[in-house]
Amino acid sequence: MPQNTSSQEVFDAVVVGSGAGGGTAVHVLTAKGLKVALLEAGPMLDVATEFKEHKVPADYEHRGAEEGGKAYFGQGKPFGFFSTTSGGWQLEGEPYTVGEGSQFQWFRSRILGGRTNHYGRMSFRFAEYDFKPYDKDGLGFNWPVSYQDISPYYDKAEEFIGIAGTRENVPSCPDGKFLPAPPPKVHEMLVKKACDKLGIICIANRRAVITKNLNGRAACHYCGQCGRGCQTASAYSSAQVQVFPAMKTGRLKVFDLAMAREVLTDNNGKATGVLYIDKKTRTEKIIKAKVVVLAASACESTRILLNSKTKEFPNGLANGSGLLGRYLMDTVGFGLSGTVPALEGMPHYNTDGYGGAHLFMPWWLWDKHNKLDFPRGYHIEIGGGYGMPSVGGYHGAARRWGYGANMKAKIRESYGTSIGFAGRGEMIPNIHSYCELDPNVVDKWGIPVLKFHFKWTDYEWKQARHMEKTFAEIITAMGGKVSGLSAAQRESQGISIPGTIIHEVGGARMGKSAKDSILNGYCQAHEMKNLFVVDGASFASNPDKNPTLTINALAWRACDYLAEEMKKGNV
Amino acid sequence: MSNFVPLESLLPVESLDRRSWLRAIAVGLTTLGTLEVEAAQHVHAETAAEKAKGPYRVKEFTAAEYKTLQRLAVLIVPADNVSGSALDAGAPEFIDTLAHQNEQIANIFHGGFAWLDAEMRKRYNATFLAAKPEQQTQMLDALVEAGRELAERQNEELVYQKSAVYKDFTGYTVRRANELGAGVAFFDWVRKMTVDAFYTSPVGFKDLNYIGNRALSRYTVPAEAMEYALKRSPFA
Repeated sequence: MPQNTSSQEVFDAVVVGSGAGGGTAVHVLTAKGLKVALLEAGPMLDVATEFKEHKVPADYEHRGAEEGGKAYFGQGKPFGFFSTTSGGWQLEGEPYTVGEGSQFQWFRSRILGGRTNHYGRMSFRFAEYDFKPYDKDGLGFNWPVSYQDISPYYDKAEEFIGIAGTRENVPSCPDGKFLPAPPPKVHEMLVKKACDKLGIICIANRRAVITKNLNGRAACHYCGQCGRGCQTASAYSSAQVQVFPAMKTGRLKVFDLAMAREVLTDNNGKATGVLYIDKKTRTEKIIKAKVVVLAASACESTRILLNSKTKEFPNGLANGSGLLGRYLMDTVGFGLSGTVPALEGMPHYNTDGYGGAHLFMPWWLWDKHNKLDFPRGYHIEIGGGYGMPSVGGYHGAARRWGYGANMKAKIRESYGTSIGFAGRGEMIPNIHSYCELDPNVVDKWGIPVLKFHFKWTDYEWKQARHMEKTFAEIITAMGGKVSGLSAAQRESQGISIPGTIIHEVGGARMGKSAKDSILNGYCQAHEMKNLFVVDGASFASNPDKNPTLTINALAWRACDYLAEEMKKGNV
Repeated sequence: MSNFVPLESLLPVESLDRRSWLRAIAVGLTTLGTLEVEAAQHVHAETAAEKAKGPYRVKEFTAAEYKTLQRLAVLIVPADNVSGSALDAGAPEFIDTLAHQNEQIANIFHGGFAWLDAEMRKRYNATFLAAKPEQQTQMLDALVEAGRELAERQNEELVYQKSAVYKDFTGYTVRRANELGAGVAFFDWVRKMTVDAFYTSPVGFKDLNYIGNRALSRYTVPAEAMEYALKRSPFA
């Protein structure tokens, strides 16, 4: 591959990746007056062509089954044609491998804004105890920072991004700076009443959707299609909310289709820039910068560091501890659904709301662990309502009821009477779950790829069984009937496949010293002062809270610190 | 409970028709400056293209095949007092279009139509189209029945395969597909593509009374719906 190193421009900072971490980084750094380069492995985002939230299936002759009916053969887009997932579980020419006996699926996005274009936008703060999990039960690792350290940055992130929610004073899920939350829907009210009866806390959801105008963004118009992208940017995406405005400062230069391969260093223990493959020309190029900020996603940033080998760091940059790639975590996932007779024949209404459930259940047994057979906790997400009819949505019902007038009437009657619950729980980091470079495989850009190893332990399995029991209790308390898994399926599918909740974090965890971690509490490499990692790689644990808001907060704090240190001449 | 936005449930849910809504969004986007004008134009251009469509021209199937498909569409989702049929919803067009784009789908349907007519001749000495309506439904009933039987056996086998008790027990295997096996598979394809086409069409939206994906200035939950469900719930 030819190399083009002619560019002599030296940026104050180069940021790799434009998702939640990278978006926050370019927003904060350009606001501080720094001259920033942003590398994105995918193309620029064109919201006009990428976002389909206002389309209906009949707008397309394939109705969402995609050209040639790809969806019928399992070859459609992940999460469906209409979702704005520019990426997938497998990317053409950019493989990863999985160790024998392990299962792991890695979702990668390749577009400006990354996975923030389509994520669920659940935005929960870590609890105080989440930062010191080892102190609580002797498992896993403490973070080198406390809730008090991060709380001001949760404030900043929430106020800037915009989170709708309510103040509830629940210790497992601290309150934030909230915009008004929309009212509960009917099925959610039934869930809440069932939860009241069972002693489960059920409160307004907290999602990164603005219910009032904010910073030039229009308030949510309740089309309910956040997963398809939001042209009005009422739902947060880093591209629209952070990167585009940062470009307007004139201090940000975006390099798209730029696949970072390694961090470049000098002989004085400093990073000097990033070597990337320009996908447009298949050329190696270099961006020089005073500070390198990785935000390529937990595993992709880990991969870049593992691929940045020097004399001093033969096993990957800033990896004196040997822990790079170790203690990879995902969220424990389990789902169960049922049907609720009380909803049959209800006068239909628009159940879209702000695009997700309006209620959720935070972990409610944080002080009852002596009565449980697993550590840590989970929160519960709710599904239900009159969703948009889509390809594939009625195959099961049609098979059950045959065909003809009866089938048509049954489908009509059962529409909107289902309820679903998804548990999202904390996994304990373990030594069997990690990624490393596969010594035998490179991607089509010539970059060595990751090999994943992953194991759930009894902690996670037992937690999933608790979810199952709880969801069945809630469905039953609503007067509903569990329709979820059969006994046989439960044995093999009673827990999510690792990686599939897309909350993979860890790999370059933060800690107190270079001996037991890669980064310090400011997401700064212990062993290289001008190298930062501001995505999920820094996580020392993976609480049941969806990671994005914490990535936003940690990245904001890291970049504040970085800019200050730069002023002082320390980086 | 907590400080939710109060339920303004007595107010009717605000809605705009689709076109004025697209316009509203476009105007909103342009004034906000978060999106270029082309974006709004793009939305309008697509809407105009939809309207310009003429009568459908069959691309993949023979005239007889297409008529069979149309008849099957009406049998699978007939019109009733709520909404039209799968034929009204454009199911044959949808299937013909995808079959024309994908040889695999085309073969399933070409072969399936041939199988169906052969089976009908055996049973009734007439093609599917030429047979009496009750003969057509008898045929479909037989396929549904055979399909259920096969599915039941498959589920049982799944239970045995996954069960630790029967892990090494090889005596239990699925019964060989019965004589209608090929027809069951074909009918499953016709049915699933037909219901897909029906429920994703404006006719299907009307049938289910789907009223979402609209622009609202405020989100409310109607009190009558809330009362209806609560009254019928264990919390009444």
